[in-house]
Amino acid sequence: MAEIVLDKVSKVFADGTVAVREIDLTIADGEFIILVGPSGCGKSTTLNMIAGLEDISSGKLLIDGQVVNDLAPRDRDIAMVFQSYALYPNMTVRENLAFPLKLAKMDKAQIKEKVERAAEILELTGLLDRKPANLSGGQRQRVAMGRAIVRNPKAFLMDEPLSNLDAKLRVQMRTQLSRLQRNLGTTTVYVTHDQTEAMTLGDRVAVMRAGEIQQVGPPQELYDEPVNLFVAGFIGSPAMNFLLATPDGDSVQTMIGKVPIARARREAIGDDNVILGIRPEHLMDPALVDERVVRTGLTFEADVDLVESLGSDKFAYLPMEGERAQARELEELAADAGGADLPSVGNQLVARLPAESAVTEGERARFWLDPEKVHLFDPTTGRRF
Amino acid sequence: MAAPSETGRAARWRWGLLDTLVVIYALVPVLWIASLSFKTPATIADGRFIPREWTLDNYRTIFDTSQFVRSLINSIGIALIATAIAVLLGMLAAYAVARLNFPGKGTLVGASLLIAMFPQVSLVSPLFEIERSIGLFDTWPGLILPYITFSLPLAIYTLSAFFRQVPWDLEKAAKMDGATQGQAFRRVIAPLAAPGVVTTAILVFIFCWNDFLFAISLTSTERSRTVPVALSFFTGDTQFEDPTGSISAAAVVITIPIILFVLFLQRRIVSGLTAGAVKG
Repeated sequence: MAEIVLDKVSKVFADGTVAVREIDLTIADGEFIILVGPSGCGKSTTLNMIAGLEDISSGKLLIDGQVVNDLAPRDRDIAMVFQSYALYPNMTVRENLAFPLKLAKMDKAQIKEKVERAAEILELTGLLDRKPANLSGGQRQRVAMGRAIVRNPKAFLMDEPLSNLDAKLRVQMRTQLSRLQRNLGTTTVYVTHDQTEAMTLGDRVAVMRAGEIQQVGPPQELYDEPVNLFVAGFIGSPAMNFLLATPDGDSVQTMIGKVPIARARREAIGDDNVILGIRPEHLMDPALVDERVVRTGLTFEADVDLVESLGSDKFAYLPMEGERAQARELEELAADAGGADLPSVGNQLVARLPAESAVTEGERARFWLDPEKVHLFDPTTGRRF
Repeated sequence: MAAPSETGRAARWRWGLLDTLVVIYALVPVLWIASLSFKTPATIADGRFIPREWTLDNYRTIFDTSQFVRSLINSIGIALIATAIAVLLGMLAAYAVARLNFPGKGTLVGASLLIAMFPQVSLVSPLFEIERSIGLFDTWPGLILPYITFSLPLAIYTLSAFFRQVPWDLEKAAKMDGATQGQAFRRVIAPLAAPGVVTTAILVFIFCWNDFLFAISLTSTERSRTVPVALSFFTGDTQFEDPTGSISAAAVVITIPIILFVLFLQRRIVSGLTAGAVKG
C-alpha cells in the first residue's frame, strides 16, 4: 500500500536521447493507473524508473512520502510483472513463487503457507511442482503474477503483462487481473500500448507521447474530452475520424458538408482552418434516428466501400476524396499504427452503426452527424478548442 | 509406402557407414597406442594390431618410478587449479562483456583476442627470464599463471556467448524480487549459464593438460614437471632400447583423467536449460 509520486522526473540516456521529460504524476494509494502510448513514448522507461531498474536523471520519485531515487530495487518493496514473464527456468513453480520470500529470509513454514495461498488465488495449486517449460502461456503468466503478489509489496508494476497471450486468453486474464487488483487493493502501475486494455483496466489512464504525459484522467474523460489530437486519435477503436474544416460563417465547411458550430466554439476557433474530429459512433444511420432530430444535424451521402459486421455493431468504411487533415500528431499516430493502417488518417471515414442498420457494401448511403458531438482541434498546436 | 522407408533405410546405411569411417579414423591411433602399451619389448615392433604376448609390465614400470607418479600429481593439480581460476575469472569478465556497456569494452575484448592469437613460443624466453628472476621458475604457480593467461580469452569468449543467451529480464526480475546484484548472479544467472561453464571448463582443462611448450620451458625438476614433459624424459633400460612401451602406457594413463573429466561433466551439459523462461 503506497502512494507513488513522480515529481518532474526525467530520463536522459547516455547518448543524449531524452526518453522521459519532466513527468509529474501522483498515483494514489490503491489506485490502478495505466501508462499508455505508442512504442518509444517512454512508458516502459518510466516504469523502470519507478522500479529502480533505470536511474532517474533528474526529478524526484517518492514512495509513501519517502524519496527513493537512490534506493536499489530490492529496497523499494515493489513487485514487477514482465512482458516476458521472466520465470526462473531452473526452478519449479513453487521455487519461483518462494524466491522473493527466501531472499527476504522468511522462515520455511511461513514461505510454504504464503506460496500455497498465492497459488490458490491464481489456481496454480496443481502446477506447483512443474518447471516453467512445462506450462502453457497463460499458466506462465499466472506464475509471474503469483511471484508478484506472494510477498504483499507496496505496489505492483506491470510491463505489458498480457501482450504475449492470445486474444481470448488476454480478455479473460484482463478481467481476472482487474478483480485481483480490486481485492488486493494494491497500488498498480500498468504499462500497455493497447488502448483497449487501458480503457478497461484503469482507474485512471495517462497517455504518453515522446516522453511527456499528454493527459491523465479516468478512461471515460479521456474518451469524451481529449485535450489534443494525439489523445483523441489514440484512445478509441476504431479511431476518431479527422477532417479538414474551413470556418465559414457560423459553421465549418468540410468534405461531408457544412457542420454548424455553436457560437461560443465558433468564436474560439477564429478564421483559420481547423481539424474536425468525429467518433465513429457519432456518424449515424438517419433511418434509425428520430426524424425531428435528423433535421437539426448534418445529413450527407457517401459511398460505402466496405462493411465489417461484428454481430453487435457494423463498421462502415466511407472513402473520401479531397484534402486531408494534416497535423504532426496525426502523422505520428499513423506511423505508430503502421502507415495507412489507421483508417481515419487516410482518406476515409469510419462509421460505427447498430447491427439493424441497412447500410450495405458497395452502395451509396445516407449518414447523419450530430454537430454537438464533434471535436475541433487546432492543426498547429493540436489542442482541442 | 515402400519407397520412403526404402530411401530412409538407405540414408541410415549411408550415414552409419560415414559415422563408422570417422570413428575408425579418430580411434585407430588411440587403439594403436593402447595396443603398444600391452606388448612386450620383444614384440613391440612386430607391426601387429593385436599383441601376440600380453603384458602389464609397461604399466608396472611407469608406476614404479616416482618420476611419473609425481608428474601425474603435478599435472592434475596444476590443470585443476588453472581451470578453476580461469573459469571463475572468465565468468566475471564474460558477464560484464555480455551485459554491460563500459568504456574500453572493445579494447578489452580486442586485447584478449590478441593474447589468444599471440604465438606462445615467442613468449617462452621472456617468461623464462621473468620467472627465474622472481622465483616462480619450476613452481606450480609458474605454470598456472601462463595457463590462466592463455586460456582466459577462450573462457571469456565461450562464456559470454552463453551469458548472452540468458534473458536479461531474469536478472531484472531477480532484482525486483529482492536479490542483490551478487545474489541475482549466483542464484539465477550462473545456474543458467552452467552448460557454458562446463564446456569452458573442459576446454581449459584439456588445454592445460596437454600443454608441452610451457611445461618443458618453465620447469626443471620433478617439483613441477607435468606428465607430457615427464614422458619426454623417459629412457629405455639401456641406450639401445626404446622406451616405446612405457611411453605408450603413460600415454594411455594420461588420457584417462581427460575421459573421466569429460564424462563426469558432460552429464551437466543439458541443452535448452533456459526453456520456459520467457514468452509463451
